[in-house]
Amino acid sequence: MLMQLTLSGASQGAIYALVALSLTVVYRSTTVVNFGHGDLVMSGAFVAYVLVVGLGLAFLPAAVIAVVAMFGLGVCFSRGLIRPIRGGPHIGFALMSIALGYTLRGIARTVWGREVLPMPRVFDIEPIFLGDVVLTGDALFTIATVAVLLGLFFAMLTFTDIGKMVQAVYQSERGARLVGINVSRFHDLSWGTGAALGAVGGILIAPVSFLHPDLGASFLIKGFAAMTLGGFGSLGGAVLGGVVLGLAEQYAGAYIDTALIDITAYLLIILVLLVRPRGLFGRKAVVKV
Amino acid sequence: MSISPATLRLRTALFWAVPVLACALPLATNPYTQFVLNSMLISTLLTLGFNMVIGSLGQLAFANVAFFGLGAYASVIAMNDLGLPWLATIPLSGLVGAAGGFLASAVALRGIRLYYLAIVTLAFGELLRWLYIHADRLTGGTDGLAIPREGFLGFRLGDDTAQFYVFLAVTVVLVKGTLNLLRSRLGRSIVAVRENEIATASLGIPTARVIVTAFMWSGFLVGVAGALFAAHIGRVFPESFGLTQLIVGFAMVLVGGTGSVLGSVLGAVLLTALPEYVRAFPGMEEIFFGLVVIVVLLCLPQGLASLLRRLSPVFLERHFRE
Amino acid sequence: MTELLTVEGLGVRFAGLTALDDVSFRLSEGQVRAVIGPNGAGKTTLFNAISGYVRPTSGRVLLRGQDVAGDSPHAIAGHGIRRTFQNGGLFPALTVLENVLTGLTTETPGSFLDLLLGRRRALEAERAAIAKARALLELMSMGHMADARAGSLSGGQQRIVEIIRTVASEPPVLLLDEPAVGLSPVARAQMMEIIARLTGEKGVAVLLIEHAVELVMASADRILVMAAGKRIAEGTPDEIRADRAVLEAYLGHA
Repeated sequence: MLMQLTLSGASQGAIYALVALSLTVVYRSTTVVNFGHGDLVMSGAFVAYVLVVGLGLAFLPAAVIAVVAMFGLGVCFSRGLIRPIRGGPHIGFALMSIALGYTLRGIARTVWGREVLPMPRVFDIEPIFLGDVVLTGDALFTIATVAVLLGLFFAMLTFTDIGKMVQAVYQSERGARLVGINVSRFHDLSWGTGAALGAVGGILIAPVSFLHPDLGASFLIKGFAAMTLGGFGSLGGAVLGGVVLGLAEQYAGAYIDTALIDITAYLLIILVLLVRPRGLFGRKAVVKV
Repeated sequence: MSISPATLRLRTALFWAVPVLACALPLATNPYTQFVLNSMLISTLLTLGFNMVIGSLGQLAFANVAFFGLGAYASVIAMNDLGLPWLATIPLSGLVGAAGGFLASAVALRGIRLYYLAIVTLAFGELLRWLYIHADRLTGGTDGLAIPREGFLGFRLGDDTAQFYVFLAVTVVLVKGTLNLLRSRLGRSIVAVRENEIATASLGIPTARVIVTAFMWSGFLVGVAGALFAAHIGRVFPESFGLTQLIVGFAMVLVGGTGSVLGSVLGAVLLTALPEYVRAFPGMEEIFFGLVVIVVLLCLPQGLASLLRRLSPVFLERHFRE
Repeated sequence: MTELLTVEGLGVRFAGLTALDDVSFRLSEGQVRAVIGPNGAGKTTLFNAISGYVRPTSGRVLLRGQDVAGDSPHAIAGHGIRRTFQNGGLFPALTVLENVLTGLTTETPGSFLDLLLGRRRALEAERAAIAKARALLELMSMGHMADARAGSLSGGQQRIVEIIRTVASEPPVLLLDEPAVGLSPVARAQMMEIIARLTGEKGVAVLLIEHAVELVMASADRILVMAAGKRIAEGTPDEIRADRAVLEAYLGHA
């Protein structure tokens, strides 16, 4: 029982980790919290769905195309909507990202209405039984994909100059500009990367869960909870926070009450705030105004 | 730009002319337009409350949607379980909303601001919605609660025209009250906290109290709007207080103009009237309000009120009163 | 001359780092005391510790004999120690008049209900505050700017409005953090005149951080020289000019 819960918690948590990480990427490099991020996650899943079910593409090429498309959307968003209001009050970015999210959600709802769509399974492999623990292909695939992606991501930050750039822009945009970093393009690419990473999360969740336009809103809250738990702005913390959240949901649902699964994230946000506002691994959780 | 005494008199006359003329509106309405008019008044209070925190204080408090629900549930529960008449539940709902505002401000005072505050209050709002669904003994769960149908003070609650006059009176009183506050030392202090909190404290202004007061007054307005909404719809259920309300509220604040009372009224009236026809298609409402917010942020960040201000000093909103 | 402000052994330590070390001085009515020193000497920390933005870890700050050290910034401002900010503390979206009115907040009584209902009591207090603010602006030749947005003023005008706002409630003690930075020579002269008028006519005690040497020498009665969080010299402008420790502190950092 515990093993089984841990496995499903970890696979769910892997996706939360991805969502939280992609939120943090944008936040760290642009100081903007993207309130429309959940809807980017949802959009990525929908694009993949259309390619697989509508155009009959195989899962992998469909997923790649969807991720690239979301990268493009992220860049366009940064360039077309965020760049023009740079220099204005911070609240403008939040409202802009909320508006984008609602627009995407509305588009999804216009096309699909109130339907919930099942995405075809990726792997029709037989579940593996280890004692009384069932290993499903989806769970293994999700965990493996996220692990590989995270490995690549953190390797890139550690072994290339990109990590230094992120740090430089985060600390001082002006200083970064002085040492020759094209900050505007850096912002665009960060938005693109955030959107693409989020889309991977959406695509991974699509085969195991149902697709619907409100999927994004729930992922946004989960991502925030993971970020808060891990320490706002910490990349590693976001990943760990996501895994912890996934596990906490499963345990709370099984041992206390199934209704709790839905609100574990909210409760965690409020609890962390009351007990340890800077999160488990964060240096400082308070966002300066 | 200085305002002459003649302009001031004209402004006072205009202010009171609007509700007086509005009193005649029910003569020219059909049941549908009357329903929309009533919705406009509710939206006005809602936007006024949103604008207080988002515009004047400059904080992202998403919990305001939750206070709207709190006010509505408080009104219906007070009618059903305490046997209070609806009119008496209006101030009660306001106080419940204000209590919610107090909680949100307590969070803000822990140094949790802007994004973090938004996330926490978003979680708080969603948690409340979960409670509306799961505390079904009190709230009726997903089916919601119906309000009692008996009449009060000579009119039936279900009568839209009678409701209109009550809504209008409540709205006018609260708009006037909010204007009074914004034109006083409190209004100046609220804007000052938004502009530079550290400097505000250096003038002997207790910034914490200013923040709490702004949040509570915002909660009060939104809570009252909830009580009106309960009577307007005749039923409260969790779906009404979902996240869509949030973008609608933001759109109304932005279209009218952040930090402007005139803007709150304009935004609420325009955006309640315009999208009636888009509601027919699922998703259109979200696209419409989403695009409205994007366009206003890009093209007219100060909202319609700023256009009117340019047109005539009558529309200038100042933070003092001579 | 009554003594208004007494700072005794004031110290601030952050995580093992000593930002301010055992600083003491006295400030009397109508007196101007300048605080000078190289960057990082702890001048602004001294201001922050006196005005409540940084909690002192040792020492006392006495205003007319009453210890205010450790109180919150707004409480200390309420007691009558008010300050300006190095980077400017105006509220850009408010008008000049509204900015000055915020400085009179503690003088404008009225409960929440008075304000909400627009009761006569509140309105009368409001009118009195407006009259006072307008008179102050006229006095400082800024009357014509009353309805301009503070954000639209020039740097020099903003500094002057900030000082008007800070002294509007007639605080006995005024802390000015680099009031002349970025000012033109004309505006600088005007600033010196304003400081002279405040101390001469109103008896305000001024503590002044300033890099502009001629302004310090012309307006200060006494000068406190700081380096690395410590007081290294103290005296009249003439004494300071002749002090070798001061020269070394500056040259050592130059």
